[in-house]
Amino acid sequence: MSENNPLRDVFDAIADPTRRRLIRLLAEAEEMPLHELTAQFQMGRTAVSKHLTILKEAGLVLDRKVGRETRFRLNAAPLREIQDWLAFYTQFWSTNMLRLNQFLEEEEE
Amino acid sequence: MSLTLSLDFQYKTSMEKLWSALTDANKLTKWMVNVHTGQAMENDFKPVIGHHFQFRTQPTEYWDGIVNGEVLIVEEPHRLSYTWCSGGEEHTVTWTLQDLGDGKVNLHLEQTGISNAQALGGAKYGWSNWCGELEKVLEQ
Repeated sequence: MSENNPLRDVFDAIADPTRRRLIRLLAEAEEMPLHELTAQFQMGRTAVSKHLTILKEAGLVLDRKVGRETRFRLNAAPLREIQDWLAFYTQFWSTNMLRLNQFLEEEEE
Repeated sequence: MSLTLSLDFQYKTSMEKLWSALTDANKLTKWMVNVHTGQAMENDFKPVIGHHFQFRTQPTEYWDGIVNGEVLIVEEPHRLSYTWCSGGEEHTVTWTLQDLGDGKVNLHLEQTGISNAQALGGAKYGWSNWCGELEKVLEQ
């Protein structure tokens, strides 16, 4: 799996509130093992682990083995796609409304 | 669940001129441009209910550059509504013009149906929250 060709859509990965919280927790720490992440939720290790797998499939989380534990860290790059997607709808009209204003002023002259 | 984009703009113009700028295909190309490239979007828009139109521009990495739509409401010079389909999304754009007097007109934009099929439906955040949260994460 490469970052450019993830198994899962990043929008799908952030649709769930638990996964958004995991992203947030990982954004504030450099690296966290599963038991520390699990402690933040009212759900079991297995459930948290499943959410982490989905984030991994979207390229948002990277993991590595250290002894017997697996440590997770955030890879925020795929979020860029969401930002671009959102920015389009607000920017499109804001920019174009300025152009409309220019156009109306030119017509006046 | 879908998200709604709601924006207001004021212009020093008349209702008739603003209406014309919103509905005349030639005038639309003057201001409805592709914000990524700044290039004009060719279109065959007509303020006729049921008319199918298309806006086209150079495709980019994120977008095929095509917007398809159908005119839904034409209430000259107060209200105009059409569908706005692009990139797998189908939105409804509604423009409401209001004469404020003193040669000023308020233009209200509402764009409904904004949702990514897989996902954004699950998001509870509003537009600004979303951007703010993501901004913070991206800055890390």
